[in-house]
Amino acid sequence: MSGAAIVTGAAGGLGGRIGERLAAAGHDLILVDLDPAVGEVAAAQGARAVVADLTSPDGVDAVLAAAGDDVAVLVNNAGITRDARAPKLTEERFAAVIDINLTAAIRLTLALERRYREGASVVNLSSRASLGNFGQANYSASKAGLVGFGRALAQRWAPRVRINAVAPSLVDTPMTQAMPPDVLAKLVARIPAGRIGTPDDVAGIVAFLCSADAAYVTGQVIYACGGRSLAP
Amino acid sequence: MSGDVSGGEPVVLRMSAVGDDPAGVTTALTDAFARIRDAVEAGRPVVVVLAAGNLMGQGDPLDAAVATGLLGMVRTFGIEGAKPGWRVNAVAGGEDDEAAVEATVATIAAAAHVTGQLISVGGANLGKVPA
Repeated sequence: MSGAAIVTGAAGGLGGRIGERLAAAGHDLILVDLDPAVGEVAAAQGARAVVADLTSPDGVDAVLAAAGDDVAVLVNNAGITRDARAPKLTEERFAAVIDINLTAAIRLTLALERRYREGASVVNLSSRASLGNFGQANYSASKAGLVGFGRALAQRWAPRVRINAVAPSLVDTPMTQAMPPDVLAKLVARIPAGRIGTPDDVAGIVAFLCSADAAYVTGQVIYACGGRSLAP
Repeated sequence: MSGDVSGGEPVVLRMSAVGDDPAGVTTALTDAFARIRDAVEAGRPVVVVLAAGNLMGQGDPLDAAVATGLLGMVRTFGIEGAKPGWRVNAVAGGEDDEAAVEATVATIAAAAHVTGQLISVGGANLGKVPA
């Protein structure tokens, strides 16, 4: 396996781990993030780093310049949260989440259209919250939007490029580590698997979807959420 | 997205095509959010009308993103509104289901104990992945 593998939101724990798995599969790894710390993550993995704001045309152009013409994998992992119950949620905070989590992913995916190799794989990081989640009208809409976008593109670009999604629940990252311990414990208690997800739990599914083993899988969502999508 | 949000009647939001600019996705979803938020705060039920084909990704990718994004939003409003009694639902149908969609919109808008649900009209996508 070769070709470029692009991972966005790669300065964080999850994106970095996804990058490690793809590098191990032999890809030429390109890690993208707004956070300059992505440079250190990339150096540790022997990867190239692109510091870019993917909501801007310049940011997308920076990724295109690094990508070359043989893109095997794109993982749209960049995302933010701005949680609030709907009555307290402003349009600005709603739009900010949609812009980064969904619209920026759409822009980058489409901008790379001519660069994908035959059999390339796009994986969108959706979320269990795409099915609805208290205080996350913006996040839920953004992650559900990735599902629809992927379904449509999977049909449009088949058989040349496959597009799938992974939908985690809570993952042990700096974002969840910042939550009040009692709140986190209550949320974890609702996960049938009995524990919070690890970056490896998610990265493994991403690596599978990007591999030849998933050559017949497109337009699908894998809920890597410890059963949270089913539990009361 | 078009829809009347004045008066005391149910608010019915109908998704329109986004166009070719991805920025339209942000605009469409943000506009819909504001309309739904304002409606539920005014105590009005909301029904979002979607194209079944867009939920399945059978058409334009940007329209599909907005359609499924709206459905995720409807479900979150349903969760948040369980205690205050908000009623926000979605109805989806195919191109030939217009009359059935309108009848279902009226029914679901008047249903006192239904929220956060997708009601699919017609059978075009039976046997496929649930939206």
